[in-house]
Amino acid sequence: MSLNKNKIIIYFLAFVSYFGIAQNENTTVIDSVPEALEEVMVTATRTVRQLSSLPLPAQIVSKADIIQSNSIRLNDILNEQTGLITVPDFGGGEGIQLQGLDSQYTLILVDGVPLIGRSAGTLDISRLTVGNIKQIEIVKGASSSLYGSNALGGVINIITENPKPGFKTDLNYRLGAFNTNDLNTSINYSKKKLATSFFANRYSSSGYDFDETDALNTVEPFVNYTLNGKVNYQFNDKTSLTTSGRYYYQNQDYVASETIAGESKINEWNTHVKLNHDYNNKWSSYFKFYASRYKAEEYLNNNDGSLYSNSYYNHFLVRPEIRANFKPTAKTTFTGGLGFSHETLDRTYFTSTPIFNSPYVYLQYDGYLNENLNVILGARFDSHNKYKSQFSPKAALRYKINTKLAVKGSVGYGYKAPDFRQLYFDFINSTVGYTVLGYNTVTTKIPELEEQGEIENIIVPISNYNDALYPESSVSINFGVDYKIASSLKLSVNIFSNLIEDLIDTQVIATKTNGQNVFSYYNVNQVYTQGAEFNAHWKPNNNLKISGGYQLLYAKDKEAENAFKNDEVFARNESGSSFQLQESDYFGLYNQSRHMANFKVFYNIPKINLDANLRATYRSKYALYDTNDNLYLDDYDDFVSGYSVIDVAVNKTFYKNYTVGIGADNLFDFTDTQNITNIPGRILYGKINIKF
Amino acid sequence: MKTIKYFACLALFAAFTSCSTDDNSGDENELLETETATVSNLAAVQTADYTTTPATITGEYTRFSFESGSIVTDDSWDLAFRGTTILVNGGTAVSDDEPERTGTAGVYIASGTLSSITEVDTSLFVSDSETDGLAITTGSENGWYSYDYTTHIISPIAGKILVVKTSNNTYAKVEILSYYLDSDTSSDSQYYTFNYVYQPNEGETTF
Repeated sequence: MSLNKNKIIIYFLAFVSYFGIAQNENTTVIDSVPEALEEVMVTATRTVRQLSSLPLPAQIVSKADIIQSNSIRLNDILNEQTGLITVPDFGGGEGIQLQGLDSQYTLILVDGVPLIGRSAGTLDISRLTVGNIKQIEIVKGASSSLYGSNALGGVINIITENPKPGFKTDLNYRLGAFNTNDLNTSINYSKKKLATSFFANRYSSSGYDFDETDALNTVEPFVNYTLNGKVNYQFNDKTSLTTSGRYYYQNQDYVASETIAGESKINEWNTHVKLNHDYNNKWSSYFKFYASRYKAEEYLNNNDGSLYSNSYYNHFLVRPEIRANFKPTAKTTFTGGLGFSHETLDRTYFTSTPIFNSPYVYLQYDGYLNENLNVILGARFDSHNKYKSQFSPKAALRYKINTKLAVKGSVGYGYKAPDFRQLYFDFINSTVGYTVLGYNTVTTKIPELEEQGEIENIIVPISNYNDALYPESSVSINFGVDYKIASSLKLSVNIFSNLIEDLIDTQVIATKTNGQNVFSYYNVNQVYTQGAEFNAHWKPNNNLKISGGYQLLYAKDKEAENAFKNDEVFARNESGSSFQLQESDYFGLYNQSRHMANFKVFYNIPKINLDANLRATYRSKYALYDTNDNLYLDDYDDFVSGYSVIDVAVNKTFYKNYTVGIGADNLFDFTDTQNITNIPGRILYGKINIKF
Repeated sequence: MKTIKYFACLALFAAFTSCSTDDNSGDENELLETETATVSNLAAVQTADYTTTPATITGEYTRFSFESGSIVTDDSWDLAFRGTTILVNGGTAVSDDEPERTGTAGVYIASGTLSSITEVDTSLFVSDSETDGLAITTGSENGWYSYDYTTHIISPIAGKILVVKTSNNTYAKVEILSYYLDSDTSSDSQYYTFNYVYQPNEGETTF
């Protein structure tokens, strides 16, 4: 018995030293020998699990890859992963696409807790520095059974670095084209029970401009700062406390025209406290408290300094959660959690400051039916004060046929709650004169507009707005095969399908006397994304790593498909006259490419302390707008041509503690100034890293 | 390719026929030929005063008659244009600054190409109405056009054909091609270019 206990403690300590305390959500490990080299992740099950044995499509981006690639922001590195791409939003941010689903359907977590600040649905991931990231965990397929709203396409969890033993400091600086400066430093101090770390990053750029004819830049100059602190305290071998805080500030020029300019600012903080306790070798639990505020403000002034316009967005989230793990046998874990989410949003164009309250509970079973068959069953229930409660189940299994071959499959439910904007918007466009109303404001606002004589016709009766707007929901199915040809060569295939219902779209609900429309949100479309993902990794020796990935994607709107089927869609020829389109002419959703691929080579020469790498990504053609006036995307529309971007980097370490790197992102200087605003052209850079 | 050829023929045909509407009135029993023509840059200019809420729109409606194949200023009009708004000479005026409806014209929007609409469905005709609004509903994607909120461009929706009944019980079908001067979206807006086919024989519901 005591021997057993000691063993657990040794395992535990091994984990503490390798994975750190904060990430060690469960002190016991399923199906994994904690070999130092075997990759593990917490995102898929909320327990530490070996990546290669998971029944879900998941991947990890390691710190080594991030460092060797000389990435500076999260979008840099995620763009190079199979099936992921960041696309620019009209607000200037970059959101992530995953399995053909937009940014608003992927949950972004930092150390297991969600980032907020999606002003138009998109979460700008260029907000995140990679300087203090330990690894990035990506789980594909609906994951609402563990994470609730937004985890419809998948979850990306950014695991930040934990305090390392002893006293350590380092300094990083990268200078690149467009006067882009990235400076970060980290300080670590650990002694016995206390471990602390502090990280600071400053990132600035002069921006760039594709169109010299106007006063605006494609990207305006900006500067931002990230501060991050962590304190771990180990009371004894059973109880530990982790607290962390993060602060982000950005200031960017904001130019509307030659005579109207101002600034936009973002202030964001989050704080995270977690108390772990192990009762015995079967039971463990933790209590977690998370709070975050995201505040964006912008203003525009006229030439003479008088105010032209200003707006603000102030989102606040508090989320306490308690979780327990029960491990009746070595290979079985039950995980249960209970939490409460409280959110408010104060925003320009809102008539009120709405409050969302949502208690939730989840339960998961992770175990083995026999030696080779791993099963995960989970479900979560989210109650909500403003929309219909959601029950999100999920089932996944993986069967190991032999030591080389395994098959895995999962089915899950995912949803995205209507956001504040879709419910409470009250916006009038000052130049054109149209109005956008949130779903819940329609019943009060339309009669008001009517009274003021602004409504000409009501197209959708107000009584349609008595029932609540449904959350967007999806059923996602993944089926994959892992084939380990040799320990140096691994292949994997995953076939996916996401069927999304009750997609929230805008429609015209009334016409105004000024000839413009009143828009509001409604549940309508059925959209599906389906395709296949292939990954190959070859590591012939410790110094060479070659990998390739490919995603095939069909992303379509069912209503559009039907319109084509029913011969209702027409396009124009060069003389402007219409002709009818066939079913096969329907391309699919905007901003989605049928093919995406990547190829990477990482090479080390330990003798001279040098590493070099080449990374290539490809994206096939896609379209941003309907250009032939039929409201659908078809083969006769104007497409953005497919393109590839190739990055190279070389790093050399001197005297152990000094590393110098040079590289070129987008080596062949690809740009499409008309359509692609987030690829500025070739970026040559130099980098230095000093460890103290 | 086929379509382009077809329209090349149409254009030729239009060039020969558009000025010769009433030439062949000799034989009473013989049906008149349908008339096919393109109207370019029909000005439908309006001015908007945004200092008031809602904005005040002013300007004369440009009246068009299919029988004469031209702009008219009297009551013989079938359709009238101002900005993106299109009136039909039937029913009642919706607001005070519209021309009085003196005729019995009606209109509906069909899905198809100009050549594929060969039959008039007389049950679908609607006239303007003070209570129910205009027969050709206004607003983006409600009637004949869509408005792009990022580029601010008005585009006629492909495959929307206006089928018109005139006060003389004759029929016309219209495809709007552009809302911009010389069909150039970087040019001034409020200039219509459209193709139409006019069936001048009273009561004849095929084209």
